[in-house]
Amino acid sequence: MKAGGLSITLVESSDIRAIGVGEGTWPTMRSTLERMGVSETALFRECDAAFKQGAKFVGWTTGEADDAYYHPLMVPQGFSRVNLVPHWLRAGGTVSFCDFVTPQGRLCDAGLAPKTIAHGEYRAAANYAYHLDAGKFGLFMGRHCREKLGVRHVLADVESVRQSETGDIESVITRQAGRIDGDLFIDCTGFSALLLGKTLGVGFRECGDVLFCDTALAVQVPYESPDAPLASQTISTAHEAGWTWDICLPTRRGIGYAYSSRHTSEEAARETLLRYIGPEHKDLPVRKIPIHAGHRETFWKNNCVAVGLASGFLEPLESSAIVLVELSAKLIAEQLPACREVMDLVAKRFNENTMYRWGRIIDFLKLHYVLTRRTDTAFWRDNCDPATVPERLRELLTLWRYQSPWFYDEFDRLEEVFPAASYQYVLYGMGFKTEVAPEETVDTAATALRCVQDNEKMTGELSMRLPTNRELLNKIHQYGLQPI
Amino acid sequence: MTQIVPLSKEKHRELKIDARASAAYGDNRHFVQVIVNEFPHLLVHYPILFGKEAATGQFFCGAMLGFIEGENQFLEDWQCDAQFYRPLSLQREPFYAQGPELAIDLDHPRVAAGEGKPLFSDQGEPSRYLQSIIWAFQDLVPGIERTRIFIARLLELDLIEPIDIEVEFEDGTLRQCEGLYTINQDTLSRLPDPVVLELFRRGYLTLIQLMIASLKQVREMARAKNARLLERTAALAVAPGAAAR
Repeated sequence: MKAGGLSITLVESSDIRAIGVGEGTWPTMRSTLERMGVSETALFRECDAAFKQGAKFVGWTTGEADDAYYHPLMVPQGFSRVNLVPHWLRAGGTVSFCDFVTPQGRLCDAGLAPKTIAHGEYRAAANYAYHLDAGKFGLFMGRHCREKLGVRHVLADVESVRQSETGDIESVITRQAGRIDGDLFIDCTGFSALLLGKTLGVGFRECGDVLFCDTALAVQVPYESPDAPLASQTISTAHEAGWTWDICLPTRRGIGYAYSSRHTSEEAARETLLRYIGPEHKDLPVRKIPIHAGHRETFWKNNCVAVGLASGFLEPLESSAIVLVELSAKLIAEQLPACREVMDLVAKRFNENTMYRWGRIIDFLKLHYVLTRRTDTAFWRDNCDPATVPERLRELLTLWRYQSPWFYDEFDRLEEVFPAASYQYVLYGMGFKTEVAPEETVDTAATALRCVQDNEKMTGELSMRLPTNRELLNKIHQYGLQPI
Repeated sequence: MTQIVPLSKEKHRELKIDARASAAYGDNRHFVQVIVNEFPHLLVHYPILFGKEAATGQFFCGAMLGFIEGENQFLEDWQCDAQFYRPLSLQREPFYAQGPELAIDLDHPRVAAGEGKPLFSDQGEPSRYLQSIIWAFQDLVPGIERTRIFIARLLELDLIEPIDIEVEFEDGTLRQCEGLYTINQDTLSRLPDPVVLELFRRGYLTLIQLMIASLKQVREMARAKNARLLERTAALAVAPGAAAR
């Protein structure tokens, strides 16, 4: 960036291809893009973007026909004032937790968009993120950074790295563009972690013993007609040895099966995928993607910090990897060391923070598995083995039997990747039981009742007013969203 | 339902149009589209703001006529005083422009009334009323385009911002008007000199000032509405005027 005397050079290798999973994002993406000055209209038009209002988990709890729950992106009504979980538990009715506290599940069921054409860019009636074409998005962001933010973009392959006596990286030597010097190097070299891993020797911490999925088969499925309805929820469906993602872009669906190769064969996995997408799609090309679950032992060493796949990778459940990219980039930008002298201090704080975040993401992903009541395959049975559950999550699960996650204790970090609301949606979506003492709900009963009534009213109003996903996307392509 | 056909001297010789302001004819609107040419006339009575078209999200300029959907506080003024300025987009009803031609909606209640002002003289010449409609369209057609270009430039310059209009009435009701926008005066005051000069030369600075000045009418409208409420409940005559911001 030119402002502030800072210059940023992006060295991009022509060889490294986009991984092609991660077509779902988290709502933080909206503020990230807005802060960067990206036009949301251009994003929709150039990246085949669509709305994402959450994830629908099918078959994760019992695997029976009616087994599904939502993890929506809106927090429960009145979340900062009252915890609705005990009230919902005590009501004991037939309404799902999601529908009790937010309109968003029902909006998703109805195929409705989270906003209207009259909402300005990044504004919304219901919280949302994006489903998008990750390949196009990469090119789009590259263009924005070059043209609007003054980033120098060099297409070149790094052949060697030059270090000082202290181990700091002085420069990278490229085949096409010669030597490129820098004060701080951000390692975005993907799985190879060329700078942090290979050059600085930072090790990799596996977590395949917690999260079993180590392979994905991905396929792009066309629609039957160009105006086919679009779902704005990622549909995550549990199978024998893993789960499929199903993401609707305006132009196609992106579908993939993430599975544990210890629990099934590739042949059986291909059959599972084909069963999901339908036999009429049997000739579509399927890409196999290895998932090496884990992260670096540290993320910032000397004058090098890793972001993205160079920092770590997990199965693409809950779009967690991309959130961490955003949070890391933000942290680097905000805390950018003024000089080498303070860099190690900033690095220390960055490492603590990022290590905490990876831990919480792993916990949160594991939560989706440990709450299952499925015993039909070894994959699900093994997932519930306490030896595979991180200690902190085990403790929380015990605690949550007597108090539901809300504002206190655990979730105190300023930018928690998954807030307490997310834990509530998954826990109570999967039928977790928390004991509620009768006196616990007395003081907040009136507030809770008002929240539930507000929710019903809001659901009705939004259902009347919102267009379908397809209608709104067509309008955005035709008229554009206003900047405000 | 509409049935819009080109206006024809032969076919529509006998038509009469009830041109009076009336809720029955669709004048009960709280926000109507206006064009920049009208701003000097509008300023005297109405707040001039921006709204968004529901179908496209595009900005348009509008005159605020009431605080509640379907409430037009100026209806009586229009009915009592023919000279009281009424936005062109209402004056022109039930007529439309079809390319360069004038068209009429034969299903419009103003037509269905069967009485009112004639369109043509016995000799087939346009009546004074029709002539006024023709003039209105001579303003409207280029005016809509001019307004569109004006708005596009304001958007480029980041000069439009949402406005919260929140009014408390004497009867204790609180009214929030949503989806309205006005000039961002902070941005305006920081514009670089060459841009200010450009806006001045294009006549936009005057329009901007008219829009800002017209915000005063929000308070006037609230006062008028309060006065009416107080008349209705004379016994409840309590002190302070409406708080408008």
